[in-house]
Formats: sequence, structure tokens, C-alpha cells
Amino acid sequence: MANLNIRSKQERTYQAIVIGSGISGAWAAKEFCDLGVKTLMLERGRNVEHIKDYPTTNLLPYEFPHRNQIPQEIQEANPVISRCYAFREDAMHFFVKDTDHPYVQEKPFDWIRGYQVGGKSLLWARQVQRWSDFDFDGPARDGFAVDWPIRYKDIEKWYSHVEKFAGVSGFKDGIPHLPDGEFLPGYELNVVEKYFAEQLKKHYGNDRHMISARCAHIHGNAEYYAQQGRAMCQNRNLCQRGCPFGGYFSSNSSTIPWALKTGNLTLRPDAVVHSIIYDEEKGKATGVRIIDRLTKETEEFYADVIFVNAAALNTNAILLNSTSNRFPNGLGNDNGLLGKFVAFHNYRARVSGEYEGHSEFTTSGGRPTSGYFPRFRNVYKQETDFLRGYAAGFSASRGVGPDTSGIGMDLKNSLLNPDKYGPWRVGSHMMGETIPKETNFVALDPNQKDEWGMPQLRISVDYDDNDEKMVKDYIEQMTEMFTKAGFTNIQSADSKQAPGLDIHEMGGVRMGKDPKTSLLNANHQLHAVPNVYVTDGASMTSTSTQNPSLTYMAFAARAAHHAVAESKK
Amino acid sequence: MNRRHALRHIALISGGLALIPSCDFSKDDILAAYKNLKVTASQKALLAAISDTIIPAGEIKGALDLEVPDFILVMVNDCFTKENQEKFTAGLTAFPDYVKESKGKKYNELSTKEKEQLILDAAKLEGDDSEEGKRKAAIVYFLNSTKRFTIQGYMASEYIQTEIIPYSLIPGEYNGAVLITDLQKPRING
Repeated sequence: MANLNIRSKQERTYQAIVIGSGISGAWAAKEFCDLGVKTLMLERGRNVEHIKDYPTTNLLPYEFPHRNQIPQEIQEANPVISRCYAFREDAMHFFVKDTDHPYVQEKPFDWIRGYQVGGKSLLWARQVQRWSDFDFDGPARDGFAVDWPIRYKDIEKWYSHVEKFAGVSGFKDGIPHLPDGEFLPGYELNVVEKYFAEQLKKHYGNDRHMISARCAHIHGNAEYYAQQGRAMCQNRNLCQRGCPFGGYFSSNSSTIPWALKTGNLTLRPDAVVHSIIYDEEKGKATGVRIIDRLTKETEEFYADVIFVNAAALNTNAILLNSTSNRFPNGLGNDNGLLGKFVAFHNYRARVSGEYEGHSEFTTSGGRPTSGYFPRFRNVYKQETDFLRGYAAGFSASRGVGPDTSGIGMDLKNSLLNPDKYGPWRVGSHMMGETIPKETNFVALDPNQKDEWGMPQLRISVDYDDNDEKMVKDYIEQMTEMFTKAGFTNIQSADSKQAPGLDIHEMGGVRMGKDPKTSLLNANHQLHAVPNVYVTDGASMTSTSTQNPSLTYMAFAARAAHHAVAESKK
Repeated sequence: MNRRHALRHIALISGGLALIPSCDFSKDDILAAYKNLKVTASQKALLAAISDTIIPAGEIKGALDLEVPDFILVMVNDCFTKENQEKFTAGLTAFPDYVKESKGKKYNELSTKEKEQLILDAAKLEGDDSEEGKRKAAIVYFLNSTKRFTIQGYMASEYIQTEIIPYSLIPGEYNGAVLITDLQKPRING
């Protein structure tokens, strides 16, 4: 490994370094740049420029040689990524292939990654529900993990801050445990989804809700977003290819170009972070050592403040690999808890059915979101034999298809004139909170290394009894709700999918009040190295049920402002 | 679908994965373009005749006009497991004898009506564990796959999606309560 620090140290010195260009890293970089901070953003993958590097974005279905199916050879070589719903012919160039970046599964874990500028912000499902104090209070009330060192009041204005800039459509639903935000006009539910919402009200009073999921799409007020170069969502539902309109929020369409425009951002793709450099004399971190992805040469960059936003598990890996005399077990890891208390969302179960009613209706056009069923279990007090609860996605749809039983001219006529309306199909999937435990952890493998000489990550994460009970309860409850709503042919399934496929892995560098039991303080600073911040999924003390990205964005913006305020002291 | 074009696409999308086969048509008629299959030119011609029976040409083009047989073989070659590829080719190989046995003629010599009935009947054959049962099962598998891919390759073709039922990348605002009776249904004459 050659060391190629040919440029002067001064040339490689910035005021802030952000590791990672995904949804949280790019937010931190944007805030820094807006505040006049000279920022270096490191990204391990290749550059992906908005629009220019979306090769499939305007392809028509017939332009995909396998009509969007992944060829068998690729599937067999990459079983983990092939299980991801969005790994299709149109977006596979944005996903990490198993074969390129191996890791060690002590227990089955489907680690879904996007190594490129923008990270997984190009591929996310764009659902953005706020947390409330019913979530932040969780660990303290129910006696697991550690108490969050922050509450809703600490993060509320930052939610508003990021929602306004990212563009979030939704309705003010007035649900105490799913706070309303700064919303663009919402997307109306369809006739059967509204019917289900009414049925819930009728049978369960004000306890169970079905709302239009808040999503990070521009719906109305396009003028405000024109200054970011973004336009209205066109309802294409091809988001995973990259959106040429910037209709949904991604680092690539929004925060990165915005930060670049300030002149304060230096974007360095192909920079695989090796470690954070800790200076024992100064008692702080002074920079970041990288390995160039292509040349494999090492280079060092320096800054007063370092943000680690490499995506939850890779943030853990970087800190674990940042060893020194002071921190032999990883940066800031005085208590030995770094990498532990990893958790995720339980997405195992689905309930589906049919509905014969409203048969005179169908839908037209497209929309980027669907229904959201907020948590109702154990919200105000402990009610069940498992801790916490689950939210659920819900949608109703109706297809029109041809009769394909025939052959020849009959079949052809039928194909070209589809008129067979089936019943409405309704479907729901659970999004369960999992309880962080010391036994669910990631660590560096002592022997196996990757192509860049970096230790491979060992992942040891599994479900527990609480998760099994929650799956059972979700299936029972959703089946009951479907039955009461008059849905028929109700089917449930437990996919038993491995953790990770939810793509909501969290923790390992958790926040907390006490340095003995947590890694980060209330401002996202490492207790032991306050000029290093972690504001991605790694910082999560508990997981709640909401899709987590919005919270990471708010964390990143809040922490960046904190870091700037600190530097002025 | 232009096969070379398709292959270039795969190569681009999969980051230069070398999938482009040599084009050697000389040895024993086996088509080298489908490297995981041992399909001969005459078998491809039979497959073409079957897809033409499934979706024939008329005022609107049929499966043969849209190179659907090539699409079928690309899908079987690239997207099937080895086991299913073997089942498919076993069915394709067994089909001519089956036609001879049941109709006393070659497939080409049958009338359109006879071809249609033959395929509908053959798709209902019941297989079992005997040699003959396995042959029947392979024929059923081959015909069902061929029909499925014929429909997919036909409907998701450039011709259908641009000239007949134009595909819109921008489907318009969502309306969650459209009366079916209000929908304008363009009747298309196949």
C-alpha cells in the first residue's frame, strides 16, 4: 500500500470532514456549507451525478433485455442482494453485489448496500414519518437499552428544517404519536383505503388509524424547489433508477448539488475510509485516512471536526478500525460497547386479502406512496406480552387483465383489450420495532480482509422471542381488522427473512446520557472524542417503528449546527 | 428485440460482464448465441412456429414479426435455472415426436385450427414419474413457458408499447376513485 501524500498537508486540510454521502452525510455537508464551513465529503464509491449518471431513468420496458428480471447467473452469484425487492435490471448498478464486498454472517443477515455518491438515498422507499416522545421515551419506560438523551422538543425544529427543504407531502392527521410536520399537499388515499380507514374508526374508535404515508416527494409548491433544480414528482414510480425531475429527495438531486453551489464543498468519491486519525497529544481526532478505491494508495485528510455517516454498520466498522494507544478497541470505545446493541426493523410478515365491494371503481394514474398504519400496540401503556409494537404499510389496488387461457386470434384480442377486472386486492406488511441487545453485534473479523486490506465486518444479529410474539400479534390483529372490514380470502405469510433485508439496521454507536453505557452524547459527539460526531443509523438508541431516514436527516442537520456553534466558542 | 443490442445492454448494466458469445453457427446447427442451451436452428424454427400459433399476425403484427422466439430463448438462456433449462429443452426436443404420434403429421403440415387445438391439449398433459410421464411433463413445461414468454415478449415489445398501446413513463396524477363506466376503453382490433 503506497502512501501518496504528495499534496501538502495544508491542501488536504478542511474545517470539516463528512464520511459518507448518503442521506445523513450529505445533510451534514449541506448544513456545513450553508454555514460557510469548508467541507470535505468522502464517499467510498464512484461518483453519481444527478441525471447524468442515471443510465436507465428513461428506458421503456422493452429496452430491458430481460424485462427487468435479474439474470440467473447474477442471482446465483449474489444471493443476498438478489433478495432485495429493488434489485432489478433497472437499478442493479446502484446496489453492492455480494461478490464485490464480502462480509461474514455469523448468523444470516442480508446486508443491502449502495456504494456510490448518494448512497442508498437513490434507492430508499422515501417514507418519512416523524418520531414522537412515545418513541424517545420507550427504552426508559420499558426498561431496555438506555434512555435516549434527547426528546422530541430537541429534534422538532430540525424535523421541520429538513422536511421543508427535502419536500414532504402529507396530511395533518393529528395523531399524537405520529406528529404532523411541514407538509406539501398530501396524496389522497384511494376509495378502498379510505373505506378501510373508516372501518378502523368504526370498530376500534380512535385507537387505530390508516393514513396516507408522508413521503419525500414534491407535490405542489414546485417554485420553492426550483431553486434546488427540482420539479414536481411525476408519479412515475421509477424512483430507484434516479429521478431526472428530482421529484423525490435524494442526496444527488438535492443536498449535494446545493452544497456544491456554495463553493464550500469538496466531494471526494472513490475514497474508502480506513480509519479516523487520533492525536494523543491533542486529545482529539485530527483527520481521516483513506484508501483510494482504484489505485489502492493511502491518503490523509485533516479537519477540526469529523462526521461519520457511512451508513449504520459501516460507521461501526470505521470506528472499530480506528485504533490507537488511547483507543485500542476502536475510537471512543472505552466501555467496550462499540458495535453492540445493533437492532433493525422486523419486516417478516404480510397479510393480504380481497375486497368485493366498491366494484364499480378502479384507479388511474400513479402515486409515490400508499397507506400507513401507525403503531397502536403499547403506545400509552404496556398492554401485551411483548414490548413495543409495529406499524404497517397498507394499500389497495385493482388491476385489469386479459384472459390468457385462449390461443391464436382469441388470445391476441384478449391481450390487446384487457377488460377483466378482478376484485380489489388489499395488502399490508409489518414494520416492527426490535429491542437492541448486547448479543446483537457487529465486529471486525480478525482474519478475513477485503480487496482494500480492510477487515471484513462480522455480523451477528438475530430475532428474539419478542419479535416472534410481535409477528404473531401482527398477523392476528391485521387478520381481525381485515375480517371486520369485510375483506375476503385473507392470507398471511411469515417470510422468516433474515434481519437486514428491511434495510433499517441501526445502532452500535448508540446515544445515551452516561459514557459508561453509551458511545455518543445528546449532541451526537463521541463521549470520549467530542470532535467526532455520528448522526446516521449507528447512533440510534432504539428503533421504534417509523422509517428512520427522516430522523437521521434531522440528527445530521442539528449536529452540524452544534459543531459550528462549538467551534465558535 | 435485437439480440446484439440486448447483449450490449446487459454488458453495460452489469458492468461489462462478459456475456457476448462467439457466433459460430457451423457446428451441427447448434445456436451458439444461447450458450446455456443446446438449441438447433431447426428447433428455433419450431419454437417460432409455435409462438406464431400462440399470437399470429393479422392487421396487427404477431409474435413472429416481433422476434419473440429470440426473446424466449434469451429468457430461458439467461433467466432460467439449469434444471428448468433442461426441462424446457427436453420438452422442445420431445415435441416433434409428440406431434407425429398424436396427429400423424409434422407441426408445419397441420392447419391453424389443428395447431391451436394441439397446443391447448398438449398443455393439459399429465406427467408422472415414468419415462413417458417425464416426457409429458417436459412438454407441458416447455409449452407453458413458451406461452408465457410469448405473451410477455409480445406485449412488452417496442411495437406494441409505441404503436398499439403506447406506454407512458408519466402516468399522470393519481385518481383513487375512478368509475369503471367512465373509463374510455379503446377497442383494438387484433
